[in-house]
Amino acid sequence: MSGTHSPLPAPVARVWEPLRKRSRSKRALLLMAPLLVFELLLFVAPFLILLRISLTSGSTDLRYAAGTWSLDGYAEVFTSGVLLDAIVYSFKLGLIATAITVSIAVFYAYAIWRAEGALKSALLFSVILPLLTTLVVKTYAFRPLLSPTGTVNDVLLSLNLVSEPIQFVPGTIGVIVGQVYIVLPYAVLAIYSVLSTMDWGIVEAARDLGASRPRSVLEIVVPQAMPGIIVATVISFAWSVGAYAAPGLLASQRVPFAIEVEKRLLSNLQWEIATAYAVVMLLLMVASIAVLTVTLNYFGGEFEYA
Amino acid sequence: MHRETVENAAFRAGYLAILTFMLLPLAVVVATSFEASGQLLFPPENYSLVHYRAFFEETRWLSAFDNSLLVGAGTTVVATTLGVTAAFGHELDDGRTGQVLAPLVLVPLLIPPIILGISMRVYFVRAGLNASFLSIILAHTLWATPLVYFVMRSVFSRFDWQLLDAAKDLGAGPLQSFAYAVLPNVKHGIFVGALLAFIVSLQEFVMALFLSSHSTETIPVVAWTALRQSLDPMVSVVSTFLILISIIAIVVATLATNLEWLSKQLS
Repeated sequence: MSGTHSPLPAPVARVWEPLRKRSRSKRALLLMAPLLVFELLLFVAPFLILLRISLTSGSTDLRYAAGTWSLDGYAEVFTSGVLLDAIVYSFKLGLIATAITVSIAVFYAYAIWRAEGALKSALLFSVILPLLTTLVVKTYAFRPLLSPTGTVNDVLLSLNLVSEPIQFVPGTIGVIVGQVYIVLPYAVLAIYSVLSTMDWGIVEAARDLGASRPRSVLEIVVPQAMPGIIVATVISFAWSVGAYAAPGLLASQRVPFAIEVEKRLLSNLQWEIATAYAVVMLLLMVASIAVLTVTLNYFGGEFEYA
Repeated sequence: MHRETVENAAFRAGYLAILTFMLLPLAVVVATSFEASGQLLFPPENYSLVHYRAFFEETRWLSAFDNSLLVGAGTTVVATTLGVTAAFGHELDDGRTGQVLAPLVLVPLLIPPIILGISMRVYFVRAGLNASFLSIILAHTLWATPLVYFVMRSVFSRFDWQLLDAAKDLGAGPLQSFAYAVLPNVKHGIFVGALLAFIVSLQEFVMALFLSSHSTETIPVVAWTALRQSLDPMVSVVSTFLILISIIAIVVATLATNLEWLSKQLS
């Protein structure tokens, strides 16, 4: 047998131990190889091909002209007003949805952290259930809730808060509400998982020293939860910029990038434009996420605990 | 003292409002599935099971249901195998491969599914696998594997590795020692990972939309196309089933471990 711990004579052990370690790391490599190959074949390779197709010229009868080299796709992305508008709209949506999501998530994660027993279970369940429910169901639910004849407007009208029904859906407000609903569970859990390792005693100490509750949260809890908040921000932003389901079902006229790119790929069959658009969008997202992370790290830096 | 009471009341009202926000939309979907008329009404005016009967008569929904189960089962098998072996390997590993693997597995989750869907479609069309079940299973595996992988890494990190060494000292081979020393201690984790992989596959629709054809479309894809045309009460019925399956999965996963642990694995 290869691995044995029986005490070996020192000279034998000197030769044997490194060999044993090496076979162990070889086995480790062998075990990781399938996933590594899978990721290369199903994630890296498709992206390289996407990149290659974005650099071909368009074709009238095919989806793209194979074998050609051209920047036409990129030129179209940067000159088409429709495509640029969609990018701007997507980023606005991403920023607004992220700001709302992260603020609510910090509060809710804190509430889950402080809760006990059945209440804690109920709060956790309320996060996990939407997380495991399909995007289609989640966004579709806002149609009967937020439409002009929907429940929310009925309530507002009967309370005399508004005189005319408000058209949340279809419309940008509806898209934002839907998108916040989609990313909130991920944001809450990312922050909660950091909070749950935190020592409540520090907050108590701050309170004993006279800090009010909101102040103790802002000055103690938020800085310590910063690693979780950064993850929550990145996830919310990335998914909201690329949002497809919420705008697809809840938007009126303004169309974000995801809907536009789908149209180019599936309806217009302009693959070189669709792929160039996807590449540009991905680069813009990566750049903005990097800026976002660095900025947040800067603010959270001096309180780094995790 | 008075200030404290007001703060407590506001705090409680705040999280109860969010709790409602989280659960109300799903409750609305379930409730609308019982509305007798063809309209989407909440709260329903006349309760009836008429749409449920219609669901079981419509072949498109039923075959989509079968497709979803097939894709889900395939994804579960592939993702669990890849995730468990890689996490186990990562635990044994002291080299650099593991450091490359973890981010590589994580990144697909951060890229908007629409971009993944496009790249996969372009790729599978070239590979001649477009609109096949295999292409959807592989795409879903890309999303499900990270969950299994990270769940298993956290499970393996709590495992007492001396047990494995002990098994080897007693003469067990690599497979035997895994089966007798490791597996019994981590089987709950594997089960929860597999369950999550299945749910992820069952509920994913953006990539499936790009990769499926009429004969391979899954439940969320049919629901999406139906909703694009009009508000269809049948979607409420299907959604109710999907929500029910998620609730069952959470309950089962909670019985195998606990809610707190599960919620940390999902973040």
